[in-house]
Formats: sequence, structure tokens, C-alpha cells
Amino acid sequence: MVILPHDSIIVQTLGRFLIPVVQMFGLYVLFFGQYGPGGGFVGGVILGTGMILSVLIFGHDASRSQIAKKVLHADGVGMLIFAGVGGLCMIGGGEFLNYANLEIPGLETASRRSLGIVLTQIGVAVDVAVTAISIVFSLSAEEIIEDSING
Amino acid sequence: MSQQLPAILFLLPLFAAISMPVICLKHRHWCYPISMAILAAMTLVSILNLHNVIHYGEVRYVFSGWAAPFGIEWVADGLASIILVLLSSLGLLGVVFTGPTSPKALGGRIVHYYTLILLLISALTGIVFARDLFNLFVFLEVAAIASYALVGVAGGRALFAAFRYLILGTLGASLYLLGVSFLYAVTGTLNMADLADKLPLLLSSKAVVVGLVFMFIGLGIKMAVVPFHVWMPDAYANAPDSISPILASLVTKVALLAWVRIIYWVLNVTIVINDIPILLLVAVLGALAAVIGASLALAQRDIKMMFAYGGISHIGIILIGIGQGNQTGFVGGVFYLLNDAVMQAALFFLAGVAFCHYGIRTIDDIGRVGKQAPWVIGSLIVMALGMIGLPPTGGFFGKWYIILGALEANNYVSVAAVLLSTLLTLAYFVKVFEAIFHQTSIQSDVQFGEIPLSFKLTLGVTSAAIIILGLFSSPIVQLLLNHTLPPGL
Repeated sequence: MVILPHDSIIVQTLGRFLIPVVQMFGLYVLFFGQYGPGGGFVGGVILGTGMILSVLIFGHDASRSQIAKKVLHADGVGMLIFAGVGGLCMIGGGEFLNYANLEIPGLETASRRSLGIVLTQIGVAVDVAVTAISIVFSLSAEEIIEDSING
Repeated sequence: MSQQLPAILFLLPLFAAISMPVICLKHRHWCYPISMAILAAMTLVSILNLHNVIHYGEVRYVFSGWAAPFGIEWVADGLASIILVLLSSLGLLGVVFTGPTSPKALGGRIVHYYTLILLLISALTGIVFARDLFNLFVFLEVAAIASYALVGVAGGRALFAAFRYLILGTLGASLYLLGVSFLYAVTGTLNMADLADKLPLLLSSKAVVVGLVFMFIGLGIKMAVVPFHVWMPDAYANAPDSISPILASLVTKVALLAWVRIIYWVLNVTIVINDIPILLLVAVLGALAAVIGASLALAQRDIKMMFAYGGISHIGIILIGIGQGNQTGFVGGVFYLLNDAVMQAALFFLAGVAFCHYGIRTIDDIGRVGKQAPWVIGSLIVMALGMIGLPPTGGFFGKWYIILGALEANNYVSVAAVLLSTLLTLAYFVKVFEAIFHQTSIQSDVQFGEIPLSFKLTLGVTSAAIIILGLFSSPIVQLLLNHTLPPGL
């Protein structure tokens, strides 16, 4: 069973408006997490929701849903970013995730800390978004996952 | 560099696990060699880490550089380092064994199968090192989720066993988390060393007592101690043959280690709550588990079920050693834990080889192919010696120190329980050997070819390890005495 496009014109039109807004808001929440409420988890959920919305509205095969299907392969990428930032900190001589030692040349300690936390939050966001999408796909159509695994 | 070793040990399998789906997207057959290489590297690093800890003292690792009571702390002390050598080497053997036995029906999912194995091993590393109750919970859950998936991966009856494991395991994890939150509410800290300072003054608080009870029941379910063991034989017997050695030898033992950490490192040894010494409870639970597990094993015909119940009784024996509250008993318990992990791995390797190559599932089948399976029968004899606890094997010395510890504590019930469970173990192995050597029925006519190298390797190495642990028991016990004793024992 594959998800078919929604047949209501209202839903389709509103979706065209809403999805970019949702995605932008997700990015805003992700990066605003530095200064106030927000952060990787919430941002990731919103980003994932945007993509789920596009799959539900335009169907599984629409060109707008391609990104959601591609993203399924990125299971580990978020964690790789997270662990990679941690590893860079270790290479810089600090403990795992001690951003003060983030080994990126030409940065002061303060901006290293700031950059480190942003990068890990991006990693978290990617992982959460991918998980949300893969939950929806695995609930709706098992073959999609099966096909994407077996190439 | 040596300061970073605990984190490196954890990150090696984690990195490999999360990059596996990307690396092996196009080349499925790369998973097996990559996993082996990673775990071999991890074994080397863990030996290096043990060497460092023995010579230069324990390593305290604070994540993100935030100091202990506020940040998350890992401590690589002697006990953790020794268990980690065991964990990574058994993990390596388990993966070597996995190659030719992994379920054929998996297809493209084989990549995720190896991902889960590596994730399980990295989570177990986390449990071994963690000195923070909540961090411990997180890794318990990661390990548990990986094992649910691995148990159920073959489908069919395994799904049922995996689902039951999932329900009970989640119950255990929830109870543990509830207990941790009770302790946190009272003390305001999750760090073990900090808790150890604050708890003794707060033992009259009902919240602390209830929290501790919840934590022990939760971990008890995870380590399959007797009243909570029902999920374990089914899950391990129905899990794919390639995965049950890793699960049986590592998952329950590491949960037991977490329990030991909380009893000895968070609570004090001599602690008494409402007139009941905690350690006495541990010893009594252990005695029950030792006898009941072995009696249930006696009733089984399926060899994997029998070995799984044998594992339950051995958890009990380890608890008896831990629960004596003296150095001899503690060291005996830890030494027996090392032995038991090796023996459980060996037994399930054997069950895996017996099924994958000879099609043996029950005791009666063994007799039919007995003469054609020299590796199986030979290693079975060594394992039986180890399980029963006869002199050249490590099992004997483990039980020896446990009994000495129990005698030192004047705890004769524990001595009786160890001896009784030994007798029962002898009884169920006699049943196996009776089937092999006194088989009157016709030998099978089917010709079985030579068994693959990886089978010989795993059976040979684990059988040799059982003997070597016995032959070198005195230096190992000396090492344990010098480096693994908890504070105040």
C-alpha cells in the first residue's frame, strides 16, 4: 500500500502554503535554541512533520515527497554529525563534546563553543526528523522501507 | 591519550554502528569484516586500557568537561576494565560466529543486523563505565532495544519471545527509572559517588527505600534473577543461533554488574534497612536462583533451553558470592562472572554449531550424530567440566572462592545452595552424556561434512579459555583482589 495524494483542493492548496512555512519555522526553532526555548529535538520534530505533511498531502510518489524518501537513508547521519563533533573535540585534546577544544582552526574559544552546540543540535535535529519520517513510512507501507533497503 | 581510552572504547563500536548503513549501502558483504575489524580493535584498546588502569590507577572521564556531580562521569576502574576486556573479546568471537550462521532470510537487513550488534556492544560498554544513575538507564535501554530487535529478527516463534522480552524488559526499565527519580527527588543528585555521600543520612526516608526497591526489581528483571526470569529462556532459545551467544554471555552479566555497582558503590556494604541487611537479601535471592534455575534446566530436552536455565542458576551463584559481604566472596563472585560469561558464550556457540551444521535441537538428537561431531562433543565435555565446576576449569575455582567466602561469613545456607546447584548441574549434564554415549538407537546415516573454520575457532577458543581461566586462576584472583574491590570492603 502506497500513500495516495489527498483529493481535496483545499488541503492541497493550503499544503503548498503551509509546508514551506513549517520548514522555515523548524529551522528557526532549531537555531533559536541557542538563545531561548527551542533546540535540536523540537526543531527536528517540526522539520520531520513538514516532510510527513508533504507525503500525506501530495502522495508518496509526488516529486515534493522525494526528499522525504531520500532522507530515509540518512538514519545514522545525525548521530554521525553528533559523534563527529565529539570526536573533533577529542582530537583537540579535550573530553568528548568539550566544545572549548573543538578542533576547527581560526576560531576563538567562545565561537568554538557556540559552533559546537549548533552542530550537535543539527545532528540531533536530523536524527529526530528521520526517525519521525521512518515511523510514518513503516506504519503506512512496509514495501517502501523494504524497497529502499534492498535498493 | 590514555585519559581518552574509555570514550574511545565506547565510540569505536558506536561510530561503526551508525556509519554501517552508509558504508555498506552498496556492498552488503562488507559488514562482516568491518564488524570483526572494529571489535578486534576494541579488544586491543580494552587490553591497553586494562594495562593502564592497573599500572597508573583508575581513569575518571567527565563528558563535555563539566566536573562530576553536575556533569556525566565515567570511571574506568579495575572492575570495569576487566569486564570490558571480557565484553569486547566475547563480542568479537560472537561476531566471528555470526558470519556463517546469520539468518539467511534477512536479505538487505543484514546491514541493520550488524548495526544492532555493534550498538548493543557500545551500549554495554556504556553500562560498564557509567557512574551516573540516569546515564546507566539510557545505556540499559539502548542495549535492551537492540536485543529485542535481535531476538525477534528471525520472525516466527522468536517474535513472540521477543515481544514478551520487550514487555518485561520495558517494565524493568520503567521500574528502574521510577526508582532513580525517587532517589533524585530526595537527594537532588544522580552521580553515584555523590549519592554514596548523601544516602546514608537519608535511609529513614520512605522514598529512598521505595526507590531502591524499584531499582533492584528493575535491574532484577534485566538480569533474569529468579522470580523475574520467565522471559529469558524463551528469548535466548528462540533468538537466531548467531545472536544468542552474545546475548546470553553479555547482557544479563552486565545488568548484574550494574546491580553490583549500586549495592557496593552507591550503598554501603554494611547497610541495613528496616533491620534487613541488603546483602543477606542478595545472598538469599542468589541461593533461590541457583537451585531453581538448575532444577528447571534438568527438566528441559531442548539444549538451548537447558543452557539458558543453566545460565539462570549461574547468575544465582554469582549473586551468592557477591552477597557474602567479604573480600573472598566478592572476588569469587566476580571471577565466577568472568567464567560464566565465557561458559555461556561457549554453550550457545555449541548449540548454534549443533543446529546449523548437524540439525541438532534436542538432547535425543545429539546421540544420533555423536560420533560424527568430534568438535561438538569435545568442547561439550570441556564446557560440562566448567559448568559443573571440576578442577582444571575456571568454574571450579570460582565456586571454591564463593564457598570459602560463604564459610567465612558463616552463611551455611549459601554453601548448601552452591553445592546443591552443582549437583543438579551434574545431573543435567549426565543426561546429555547418557544420550551421547549410551545411545542404543541407530546412528544417523547422513554424512556431515567438516565444520567451517569459524565454528572450530569459536568452539576452540572458548573451550581453551575455560581451561586457561582455571589454570591461571591464582594470578587472576590476585589481580581481582588488588584492583576490583569496592571501597570499604
